[in-house]
Amino acid sequence: MKKNKYIFVLLLLISISVVCTCGTFFYVKFNNANVAANADDEFVIMTSCNPVYIATLNVVGDTDGVTVSNLSQPTTGCLHDYTLTTEDMKNLSNADVLVVNGGGMEGYLDDVVEAYPELTIIDTFEYVEDRVELPEEEEHEHDADEHSQEKSLSQTPNDFHRTVESDEHEDHHHEENSHIWMDSKLFAYQVQAIAEGLSQADGTHADIYKENSSEYVGVLSKYVDKSGLESLEGANVAVLHAAFIYTAGSLDANVVAVMDLDEERQVSAGEVSDFIETIKANDVKLVLAEYDYGNSMGKLITEQTDAKVVYLETLVHGAYGADDYVTTMNENYARISNVVE
Amino acid sequence: MFSEMFSYTFMIRATIAILLISPLFGTVGTMIVQKRMAYFSDALGHSALTGIAAGVIMGIANTTVSMIIFGICFALLLNYISRKGLSSSDTLISVFASCATALGLAILSRGGSFSNYSAILVGDILSITGSEIIQLIVLFAVILVFWCFSINRLTAISIHATLAKSRSISVRVMEDAFAVLIALLVMLSIKWVGILLINALLILPAASSRNISENFREYTYFSIIFSLFSGIVGLFVSYFTDMATGPMIVIIASVIYFATYIYGKDR
Repeated sequence: MKKNKYIFVLLLLISISVVCTCGTFFYVKFNNANVAANADDEFVIMTSCNPVYIATLNVVGDTDGVTVSNLSQPTTGCLHDYTLTTEDMKNLSNADVLVVNGGGMEGYLDDVVEAYPELTIIDTFEYVEDRVELPEEEEHEHDADEHSQEKSLSQTPNDFHRTVESDEHEDHHHEENSHIWMDSKLFAYQVQAIAEGLSQADGTHADIYKENSSEYVGVLSKYVDKSGLESLEGANVAVLHAAFIYTAGSLDANVVAVMDLDEERQVSAGEVSDFIETIKANDVKLVLAEYDYGNSMGKLITEQTDAKVVYLETLVHGAYGADDYVTTMNENYARISNVVE
Repeated sequence: MFSEMFSYTFMIRATIAILLISPLFGTVGTMIVQKRMAYFSDALGHSALTGIAAGVIMGIANTTVSMIIFGICFALLLNYISRKGLSSSDTLISVFASCATALGLAILSRGGSFSNYSAILVGDILSITGSEIIQLIVLFAVILVFWCFSINRLTAISIHATLAKSRSISVRVMEDAFAVLIALLVMLSIKWVGILLINALLILPAASSRNISENFREYTYFSIIFSLFSGIVGLFVSYFTDMATGPMIVIIASVIYFATYIYGKDR
């Protein structure tokens, strides 16, 4: 009896091992894992999200011996709480450079820095904030009064004052608004940051990176089309996603109310009424929102106020093409333009 | 295939972590199942959220410290109130667990920022660092020493507390010490395993082992073997299939449980 039991356990463990091995083997065979090439002479650049991926693609262009890959991305949801997969870890082990948006966007960045001390990290946000004064994202840890007070402040991005409290920053309670790519002028700085970073890390192709970057910056200023939106200059707008503070900023509009909605955001009744009151009090005619998380709140705002809600793309999830940035930004501006007219 | 896998530092660290954590789960799990404390360890896991919240409020940068302190206090308080016998222990634990979870969620979700902490629900063993492995090695040593000195007394208490008391075993001290031990294990490994699954890893190997064991020695050994096996196989499968490690380990541990259940039933 006792002997049977040991044989049973042995057989059980062997069969589980065999099933797992076969299952894994076929899984790997039928799902081509997209691990970046590991050739010794290749210069491998990894990027953390769609906007910096697009920027890097344009900076690198057709340069021989340089590959650009993006970390695997969640198909939905916010980047802030994304955790790295085994495939990402493998890709990072092979990479020479990791280009990140920065500013708290990549919550896993500290782990990466610790795990890969030799990996060069290009932080585009850091580069931009050294050159431009950026808005501060609403603080999540305020008490209710302070919170509503802050939201009712009339601000344009240039009026914002950024305060960095490093201790709190570590705990992500006092984050900057890191969605800088939503303003094409700031995105151009990101492109320059990438070109400079790559030139230092890969000196042999420095000239190509610089040339491509100035060419792409030219494309951005030439083809991102904000025509017909001049009337929004100085107009009061509200946003349902922190990313659109920059969209409003790019149009010189005043952001009078911010409600940063994502998949895990639970909004209290008090917040909603404060938000609606602010919209009414400031005669807001335009609310910028993301469809997935702002849809129900958007409907509520349309019902309760005279403001029109426009649903825009944040570019976090996309088709990962080199021309995506200009196309998506123009689509966003066209949607706003349709409503404004 | 395996040489490629171990060329990555993160995989080496994750494997070492699994080799350290899973025998501990297997060992401590036997006593948890034996003493019918499954609900207790689950409640402790949920209280991790409150531990983090307490750390955030008090401005402690390393929330692991606040989690451990809160976990130990929570475990001792639960034991104290259970001893008073005012209500059945499962009701009490349930009340405490719900209260702690709600408190943690309320504080952490203040201003809608819970997404910053949601990673702890599922855990991520791949991001374990060298210093955290040292913490696990210390924990491993502490539990091993405690186990060697206390296993007989704990077993006696689990079989018959009054009889153990008559043998001059300090039931209260032992129960409290064991509760603190569970709190330490749960709080130090929750970041890698996740709140949702930590109890499964504690309970499943021991429960599977109980299905087929005839004595305490077998019970412990099988539990450790099952725990180690599911940990290692789960990690390898998750590496190649790019799925989360914790759930994969639990799936394998569950398969072992069902197989041993069927085998044990027919004996």
